[in-house]
Amino acid sequence: MRLSIPRFWRKRFDYYSVRISECLDCGRKFYPRRSICPYCRSRNVKVVTSRGVGEVLTYTVSYYRLEGYEEVIPKVIALIKLVEGPVLIGELVDVDISEVREGLKVEAVLRRLKSEDPAGLIYYGIKFRPIVG
Amino acid sequence: MSSNNVYLIASSMVRVGRYFSKSYKDLVVDVVNELFSSVGSIDIDYLIISNVFSDSILEQLDISTILTQELGLTPKPALRVETGESSGLTAITQGYSLIKSGIADTVLVVGVEKCSEFPTPTMNKHFIKFSDYEVESIYGLSVVNEAALLMKIYMRRYGYSREDLSSWSVKMHSNALKNPYAQLRFLISKEQVVRSQVISDPIRLLDMYPVGDGASAVLLSSKEGIVNNEALEVVDIAQATSQPLNLREDLLSLPATKIVFNKLLSRSKLDLNDLVIEVHDSFSILGYLILEELGLVEKGKAPSIIDDLDNVNLSGGLKARGHPIGATGVYQVAEVFKIMTTGLGDIKRDSCWGLIHSMSAVDNNSVGILVRRCSC
Repeated sequence: MRLSIPRFWRKRFDYYSVRISECLDCGRKFYPRRSICPYCRSRNVKVVTSRGVGEVLTYTVSYYRLEGYEEVIPKVIALIKLVEGPVLIGELVDVDISEVREGLKVEAVLRRLKSEDPAGLIYYGIKFRPIVG
Repeated sequence: MSSNNVYLIASSMVRVGRYFSKSYKDLVVDVVNELFSSVGSIDIDYLIISNVFSDSILEQLDISTILTQELGLTPKPALRVETGESSGLTAITQGYSLIKSGIADTVLVVGVEKCSEFPTPTMNKHFIKFSDYEVESIYGLSVVNEAALLMKIYMRRYGYSREDLSSWSVKMHSNALKNPYAQLRFLISKEQVVRSQVISDPIRLLDMYPVGDGASAVLLSSKEGIVNNEALEVVDIAQATSQPLNLREDLLSLPATKIVFNKLLSRSKLDLNDLVIEVHDSFSILGYLILEELGLVEKGKAPSIIDDLDNVNLSGGLKARGHPIGATGVYQVAEVFKIMTTGLGDIKRDSCWGLIHSMSAVDNNSVGILVRRCSC
């Protein structure tokens, strides 16, 4: 499907940073950002921009071929626990597959997600890379 | 005069496969013709179509009307049901609801999907739509990646090797050998599973469902004169949803599936070993987790009992019968109907009860139905 400018633009802060929600009633933090708490249904929820730092809980090396996402195969897909607590699934970049391990410290980085054609729009979003040093 | 009890009267299907010379309409006409030739001319009140990718692949919306026209069933009312991979079983529950509510006496439920119209990478672009596009699919994340993460966690938590988790696929292929409608009718070994192509490590090609087309039909009715001794009663239905994987307390739990099983099994003291059971094993790891959630085996033990199971996924399951997405749930019901009545090929069971489970992605939207032989 062709990319939609308004559909992406309106969520630019979600795609260009890691945003989580904190429920002010039950105290839980969660990803993705939502206005209703998935645990207690409270609407007393505030948006927090995560530091984008976390660690790999587990990961998979994926050779699954998807039209529009074939520039990098294989991809390393990881279950990541952010330092603020929430867990998300994200792609790891700038890392040798042999160096990926559980417990690896990672940080969010802005990367190209896909483009509709060589002359078309390019979508950017968050991926994760190892923290060096 | 209608009792409002809902019965499965007849079922039909085509073998799951790649039908390059047939359109979705051809497949539906084939299964509906076969169904009506088995029961004679019956007046239906409603047509329910289960189909997931009509607008993605077939460039078609309002597919239920187009099929009503094709089948010569106008002016009967028709609708399409879509809840991702569990659409087929949801369609059955909607047919059940129409009859229970008294809106209809007889409902024809048809599941159809054409998955071989495009090359696999194109189809994969549609398969990832079962997850939240704005949160997961836009990043190119797919259900196979989620299943792979679960498989790794399962292996770590319970100390299994990669080969240990190959028993499901081996068993499903063995079962499918006897199912004339199964897509993959050949035996495989554990060695073949662990040596097959890596899809998303540790998941390999032989851990997941094959891509195929399919169509299946089931006739539901409460009407005297249509219901006969061969019929199965649909005793209960259940459906539940859950939050995505990363929001679950225990990643290896299937919260919606658990609710579905609890509801269906609470009303009767059923012996799980005496039921004909069909579950949604799109990936072998999910097959294990579902059996554990069902309570057939304690958590972490499912891989060790698979070799001896003789009442689960006799069809070969999604793994080997195949998974024509929107049609799959209807296949499961159609197969259980045959297994408990005239026989699915040579597969026949005298059990009084049947339990059918379906879900979308990793337990996003899960459905179950419980059926009982009328003579029990």
